[in-house]
Amino acid sequence: MISLEHITKRCGPTLTLALDDVSLSINPGERLAIVGENGAGKSTLMNVLFGLYQPDAGTISVSGKNLKFKTPLDARAQGIAMVQQHFTLVPNLSVTENVILGHEPRRFGFLNLKQAAEEVTATAKKLGFAVDVHARVSDLTVGTQQKIEIIKALHTGASTVILDEPTAVLTPQESNELYAVMRALSESGVAVVLITHKLREVLAFAQRIAVMRRGKIVAEHSASVSESALAKDLTGDTVLAAELPRAQIPVGDIRIELKSVIAEKLQHISLKARAGEILGIAGVDGNGQRELAEVLTGLRDFTGEFRWDGAVLERPNAQKLRELGVRHIPEDRLRRAIVSDLSLEENLSLGRQSKAPFARGAFIDASERRGFAIRTLKDHDVRPPEPEFRAGSLSGGNQQKLVVARELSGQPKVVIVVQPTRGLDIAATWAVRQKLMQARNAGCAVVLVSLDLDEVLALSDRVAVMYAGKITAEFNRGTFDEAAIGRCMLGVANG
Amino acid sequence: MGKALRAMMPSIASVVLALVLSFFIIVSTRGLSDAFNAYLAMLWGSIGDWPKFLSDEGTAAALLRPLGESGTKAALLILTGLSVASAFRVGLFNIGAQGQLLVGAIVAAWLGSALSLPAPIHIAVCVLAASLAGALYALIPALLKVKRGVHEVISTIMLNWVAVRLIENWLLLGPLKATASGDNSISGTAQIHASAELPRLMGDGSRLNLGAVLAVIVAIVFWVFLARTVRGFEWKVVGLAPEAAKSSGLNTSRAIIESMLVAGACAGLAGAVLILGTELKYPATLSGTWGFDGISMALIGQGHPLGVIFSALTFGALTAGGTRMQLFGVHKSFPELIQGIALLLMAARVVWARIFSRRNA
Repeated sequence: MISLEHITKRCGPTLTLALDDVSLSINPGERLAIVGENGAGKSTLMNVLFGLYQPDAGTISVSGKNLKFKTPLDARAQGIAMVQQHFTLVPNLSVTENVILGHEPRRFGFLNLKQAAEEVTATAKKLGFAVDVHARVSDLTVGTQQKIEIIKALHTGASTVILDEPTAVLTPQESNELYAVMRALSESGVAVVLITHKLREVLAFAQRIAVMRRGKIVAEHSASVSESALAKDLTGDTVLAAELPRAQIPVGDIRIELKSVIAEKLQHISLKARAGEILGIAGVDGNGQRELAEVLTGLRDFTGEFRWDGAVLERPNAQKLRELGVRHIPEDRLRRAIVSDLSLEENLSLGRQSKAPFARGAFIDASERRGFAIRTLKDHDVRPPEPEFRAGSLSGGNQQKLVVARELSGQPKVVIVVQPTRGLDIAATWAVRQKLMQARNAGCAVVLVSLDLDEVLALSDRVAVMYAGKITAEFNRGTFDEAAIGRCMLGVANG
Repeated sequence: MGKALRAMMPSIASVVLALVLSFFIIVSTRGLSDAFNAYLAMLWGSIGDWPKFLSDEGTAAALLRPLGESGTKAALLILTGLSVASAFRVGLFNIGAQGQLLVGAIVAAWLGSALSLPAPIHIAVCVLAASLAGALYALIPALLKVKRGVHEVISTIMLNWVAVRLIENWLLLGPLKATASGDNSISGTAQIHASAELPRLMGDGSRLNLGAVLAVIVAIVFWVFLARTVRGFEWKVVGLAPEAAKSSGLNTSRAIIESMLVAGACAGLAGAVLILGTELKYPATLSGTWGFDGISMALIGQGHPLGVIFSALTFGALTAGGTRMQLFGVHKSFPELIQGIALLLMAARVVWARIFSRRNA
């Protein structure tokens, strides 16, 4: 049994209290989930246990013995393994080479790759994973890479394994498979600690759930707790409705139509974005969704037909499409949406900077811009609502609210949205989704590209599945079949 | 104002520290008293010889001549500094201010001697033509960048040499060679007409001329452009976040071309001010590295027009005063060392920023 007692840790330049007197025990063979919003301290706590961070105060004990973990090697020596949130594999190396990195078997001082491959195969088999240990990691799918991470963590034997957001990039099938393996692992006596914010997965998997908020464990539940009670613990006082207010409106006109569009990673894409409808694009990462979004926003060259309100548009570029009323909430907000060194009001004017209320003639209309900024920041609950604040100093959630505020203001006709809630906490996610739904209810055509299938299903009126650069299936709201969509995402079935 | 002052702190601190370090360099080679006297000479040579002025035989010239010389040098530094700062705004490094200046200078020298026009018009024609020539010369690297992706540092460095060779090895020896009068052999171009000379602001007391006024006006107009106009804002976005600019539908190519045209025009104007204000013809070789010094001015001034004015005034004064250090056995190029050290310290501004932000935290 592992006990963390009274762990306190301050982090960052301002020495914020990341962990505030946290105590937690992990029993052998149990399935424990730690849930919490971004910044609640769950990853920090596990990094302390894994020896990546040193606590300022508090003790760690394993089987009653007080220990100090100065590096992850100390933690590993106690049988603690961790699968990090971000992939740590070397793309150019083989599966075997990745797994044995750091503890290579040697013969006469030379690397014994043959023995290593056999050992890795054995570990994979024990876990029930079928992988080619000689394959190069860069050739593998994201789901398989996640399996390699787990093999790597467990290869040298572990009695406790920590998984940090393991299903963030997996399809439903891959997630289910992963959880089945973890369950078997726990039944064989290994403690599994799951860090996530996906409540449904937590409830299906965990035996015990610890909820963290602002550096503290605020509640502990058994698996029988309800999802809404858990959500309430997570966010504190805010109660979130389960369903977004989707207005029943007739299907509108076709705003953008692509006909047989070919571009990098895209093969003969045809799709229609209609007014008052959210078109979700589902798919595993890297199947052309990003490129499709770039075509739709005029940022990528293509061949094929691009129609706007029924008329063919020649060479649509970002400027032309913006003039027509197309807006873009890109995935990479720090690079593509926000200028960190500019103020909030300057960022809000970006894209329409030469028009009212931001400009009068060739000059910036400072007072009108200020007024617009004050109103908009308040409407969209961007904190702090200070127009002169540097955009780079906002939290990720507030930066995204800023982008959403800008792109959805001024009655856009079409919005192309990519991964709008990636990395956001529950409250910010909710706020962003609500604004997207409001835009749709107001008659905007929304194209939503997301790797989070739950998000696509929650928001979309229609879902198109992309696989290998093609749209392989379409589903309408009411006939969403998660399993079928998942199969299409993996390319094993067409709709 | 506190915010502006804080933003300027790294610049001021690096200049002051450079002065202190350079002082000890003289101390280490020539001793404390020489160093002290050399610095005093530099001071009086830059801000006016106040002890002499206040003494019994003091005249206004004791103040005006050094001040005028400082101002004359600062004017050129302001213009070339703005040239580099303009390209900086959109994220380009214009190493080519020197070449653009030379092109402006030769055009000013040519039109100044070849045309006969009434004074104000002659000046205006020369100044505008030189600016245009500089702008067109800067258009070459801009187009190469936008159309073919050629890195502007490479193309502008090479174009500097193209300008030097075309002017010195062809124009000055061929088409624009001055015709010798009598026994005097003449190098460079012919002398410009009096009608093209920039009027002196303080009579014969110093060489300070209309160019200084032009430089300050350009700096202020540029400041207003950057701070108040939509296009100035767009340049800033293109420089800070090119991808965000593209996603927002900004025409980044247009911003690059515009800023390089402005950069070239500023450098070309500097060339005109140099010829029409002080040189009065294009000599066989134009000494001085005003264009390269512009890089230092823009860096030390942090790309801000007022910062450029600040650094240009500082280093204009140091250069003017530096010649007087020779009296104490210190080479007149010593201010270049100070400038170099200040630039080095400025390049380490990340460290400065950390020190100052910690103090304010």
